[in-house]
Amino acid sequence: MTRALLWSRGAVSLIFVLALWQAVALSGAVPAKFFPGIPAIIDGARQMIATGELPRNEILTLGRALTGLVLASVAGIALALLSDASPFFDRGFRTISSLLQPVPPAAVVPMAIFALGLGIKLYIFIILLVSIWGPYLNGAAALRAVPREQILTGRMLGLSPAAIMFRIKLPAAMPQIFAGIRYAAAVSLIAVVVAEMLAGRDGIGFLLVRKSFSIRIPETYALMFVTMFNGVLLALLVNLARRVLTGWHVRQTGASK
Amino acid sequence: MNDTTILEAVDLRKAYGHGLQRMPILDGIDFRVRKGDFVSVVGPSGCGKTTLLMALAGLSQPDTGEVRFRGQPVTQPPQGLAVVFQDYSRSLFPWKTARENVIFAMRDTAQKTRQERRDRADELLAAVGLKEFAQKYPWQLSGGMQQRVAIARGLASESDLLLLDEPLAAVDAQTRADMQDLILELAQRFDQTCLLVTHDVDEAVYMADKVIVLSRRPTSVATEIPVDLGKRRDQLATREQPGFLHARHEVMERIRSYRSQMAG
Repeated sequence: MTRALLWSRGAVSLIFVLALWQAVALSGAVPAKFFPGIPAIIDGARQMIATGELPRNEILTLGRALTGLVLASVAGIALALLSDASPFFDRGFRTISSLLQPVPPAAVVPMAIFALGLGIKLYIFIILLVSIWGPYLNGAAALRAVPREQILTGRMLGLSPAAIMFRIKLPAAMPQIFAGIRYAAAVSLIAVVVAEMLAGRDGIGFLLVRKSFSIRIPETYALMFVTMFNGVLLALLVNLARRVLTGWHVRQTGASK
Repeated sequence: MNDTTILEAVDLRKAYGHGLQRMPILDGIDFRVRKGDFVSVVGPSGCGKTTLLMALAGLSQPDTGEVRFRGQPVTQPPQGLAVVFQDYSRSLFPWKTARENVIFAMRDTAQKTRQERRDRADELLAAVGLKEFAQKYPWQLSGGMQQRVAIARGLASESDLLLLDEPLAAVDAQTRADMQDLILELAQRFDQTCLLVTHDVDEAVYMADKVIVLSRRPTSVATEIPVDLGKRRDQLATREQPGFLHARHEVMERIRSYRSQMAG
């Protein structure tokens, strides 16, 4: 399947969803006031762009999500390397990770506001809390699964354990780590919007709450579409990084299809 | 020890597990490999060939006994000794091209410029018949070609001794014959002493100056059979020579005796 065909397929399904939305809005099955059509939603977005509140808050939200995602990825990989290098650390951290993973970000935000304030620290903390697990768990599993022959090849060449880790195991694990980062990207966006909704000062999440409380229905829907767009944007960025860092694997899996 | 011995196994013993679970694998292995020789190691399946190879390479320590490489006890992988693994698809680095895989194994990188390393890698790839494939990734190559890259990588580490762990077990019969001749040619050209672990008796005899036959587990050396066929081998002529047939017969007979013991 060519890329152009895949892209056009994506466009077709997007148009289909929008058309379905518009059909429901026009059918009268739902009150038009609470389920506006696409033109009304676009109009709402246009107004928020004109006042500048959409671009300003969008940049804040994207900036937070991206910073958090990069930090969570680096930290997740670092923890995975530590887990692989030290069975002692691995044991200890496995317990900590299974305790922290189920914690919902919304439950942590109120306390975290007191501890960290309303600045970037809060958002980084919340994103780390939920996004670190994808890269960490995938990384740790992938490092464990590096073929024995590759490690023995390194040992035969007299490489130190650190050199084997960084020159053999880490590159071998990168494709699977990226699968974890892709998942973390989606989760980090949810986390940042939830935190903004609760912390309530700025960002798309804050705007979403304000618009819905003042019953600005088209604007509220427009903001929901913005969060979807953000998800696609972040996924594209992760994919770009994946192509740069593990282009060989993209081509390998592409070639086998 | 005479001064032409390059590798020596002295009473190697190794067991896995403890107490009642304890299972002896190697039970006093003794042999010598002379510099420049091509030695094959064959044995009944499950006789601990891999355990032996790991000990010879310095990748694992025997419980007792000693491996000596150039007269020095082996306690870790020594310089000058390279291993070509059976599973080439798992031993090559998929994120590196054939050339980069070969360059990875070069030890004296500080003394060589980037261009020199590249040229050396291309020279080795040409020697294994992969001149045009330097830029290809392993997964773009056939099984036989991947194993050639792995052999070129073994040569790149400037070793004197190549340990070949069933390198041809996973390639098809035609490729196998070609690869046997290629390995023999490379051993001569790059002045390599070779120790080939294989389960194929014909291959063991065809390639070797000496065949070491291992016993069933717990494993020791059952017998050593010299193969006096000279250095030049030919897939047709060599395999028809009385010397070949005689050596093959003796090896087969030894291994078969273990198999029938097992069955009985």
